[in-house]
Amino acid sequence: MADQAIAIAEETTGVATPVLRQRDRTAARLFIISLRGSCVLFLIICGGLVAELVWGAQLSLRTFGVGFLWSSAWDPVTEHFGAAPFLYGTAVSSLISLALASAIGIMAGVFLAEFAPRKLGVSLGFLIELLAAVPSIVYGLWGLFVLAPFVSQWLGPALQDTLGFLPFFQGTIYGVNMLTAALILTLMILPTITAISRDLIEAMPMRYREASLALGATRWETVAQVVLPSVKRGIFGACMLAFGRALGETIATTMVIGNRPVISTSLFAPGYTVASVIANEFTEATTNLYLSALIELGLILLLISIIVIGLGRLMLRLLER
Amino acid sequence: MAANNRHAHNMEHQPAMSTAQIGAKPPVIFAATPGNRSVAQDEAPVKVQIRNLNFYYGNFQALKNINLTLRDRRVTAFIGPSGCGKSTLLRILNRIYELYPGLRVEGEVLLDGENILAPGVDLNRLRAKIGMVFQKPTPFPMSIRDNIAFGIRLYEKLPQSELDDRIELALQRAALWDEVKDKLKQSGLSLSGGQQQRLCIARAIAVKPEILLLDEPASALDPISTQRIEELIDELKPDYCIAIVTHNMQQAARASDYTAFMYLGELIEFDETETIFTHPKERRTEDYITGRFG
Repeated sequence: MADQAIAIAEETTGVATPVLRQRDRTAARLFIISLRGSCVLFLIICGGLVAELVWGAQLSLRTFGVGFLWSSAWDPVTEHFGAAPFLYGTAVSSLISLALASAIGIMAGVFLAEFAPRKLGVSLGFLIELLAAVPSIVYGLWGLFVLAPFVSQWLGPALQDTLGFLPFFQGTIYGVNMLTAALILTLMILPTITAISRDLIEAMPMRYREASLALGATRWETVAQVVLPSVKRGIFGACMLAFGRALGETIATTMVIGNRPVISTSLFAPGYTVASVIANEFTEATTNLYLSALIELGLILLLISIIVIGLGRLMLRLLER
Repeated sequence: MAANNRHAHNMEHQPAMSTAQIGAKPPVIFAATPGNRSVAQDEAPVKVQIRNLNFYYGNFQALKNINLTLRDRRVTAFIGPSGCGKSTLLRILNRIYELYPGLRVEGEVLLDGENILAPGVDLNRLRAKIGMVFQKPTPFPMSIRDNIAFGIRLYEKLPQSELDDRIELALQRAALWDEVKDKLKQSGLSLSGGQQQRLCIARAIAVKPEILLLDEPASALDPISTQRIEELIDELKPDYCIAIVTHNMQQAARASDYTAFMYLGELIEFDETETIFTHPKERRTEDYITGRFG
């Protein structure tokens, strides 16, 4: 019995023929080198990206300094550039879409995972994954031809009638505006939040639900107090992921936001985002300073993304306590 | 205070129940358990009567005409090989099986004389009377304190100090208080497996149930934690009707008053634990407890 155990132990710890061991070692070493290599590649790409952006933005950085961040000038003729309208547009459109999409997405995820009949859940789930795969240009086209008229003719006036006392819903309702951009972004990030929420909730072992129900809790109490708190970190991560996508989304936003570098409190006025201005004006940037200002915008967008991810991590750590 | 209430409640139901037991159809009740005259003679009141119970997973019949009595202040152990239906039986008693589609039950389960399988039974109230502890610990993602408070808050709105008392009492009864009294605000998940399981028992008894269903409560635990759970069962016995499913023969022998041996969805033998383990009447029972199959 004991001899047998030792024999098995020897086999598993690898006291085999020397040739085999040699080959195993080489393979293992190659494997580890390739693992390390891919990580190093990552570092090189990231470093190269930041270095390239900083290098390209140098002229703009030197000309405008930190003031670039809060200047709202954008005049290619006199070569005065500032990032404020774009930062504002990016922040407002992404934050609105994050708020709407996380509220709807989490609720939809809960419904699909907990309450929907099986067949409905499966088919709806498939549809949602399909939505996540639709190219953003398609969302943009749909936004321009369907959503924008809907917002300017129906949703806008309705909001103005009911919530018109708020500064966000005052003024002329343009065909393409901040609200439309925020809504199209909401639609684009909604599948991510819904699908991840649903997967997280479904992955939770049934025994926790059973334990809660066995105590006499209702389905709703179980979901609200046991299921959701268990997956809140994951859902928060999903929201951050979605927020990151909203921040960087370019084509769809560009098509519906109006592309005018102004800061307006009204959501019915056109705006501009960092990503959109880079996409729109890169080919027209004829002077070095113009080009450099656009590259600096790219650098800022990268930094914002890093900060958002960092903040997300930080908040997760706070939630843990 | 709480315990008094509970017992007063039992007293009320006792006479009604015994008449039901005598007046109904005793032959049916004990049909599958010819050897349990001693069970019938026990002075402890009948808490749960299972009558002609059949259970189906779709077309598969998982329980076949089960007739069984659970008595108050007694521990009844369910043993049998995997898939024999013992867990299923337990899960019918608090109707938790209803969480899954395609399952069907026939027959009656009388709790204090009232059929809990009847439509219109208030499930939340039923489950307040029947605590359940699962094979793997299920601490909720909240503090140790809130884990206990969770169940209490479902039924009662208590002032802070009273709630704290109830939490302490529950943890003490579950023999966990000394280990966690200084860290009630820490997550329930930070405890060891054995502690988590006792937390779940504390959570179940905090709601003041009358019946405790333990579904292999110690099978995921180390021997020392297992022993603590068994001691705990012994301590809880004077106040509850306890049903325990176990794969551990010694555990059934040590911890229970009555033992039901099930096989392929049938109740093969049900008797006093001592009788089952010393003079089983059925060949299959003997084979199983001596380890010849299962």
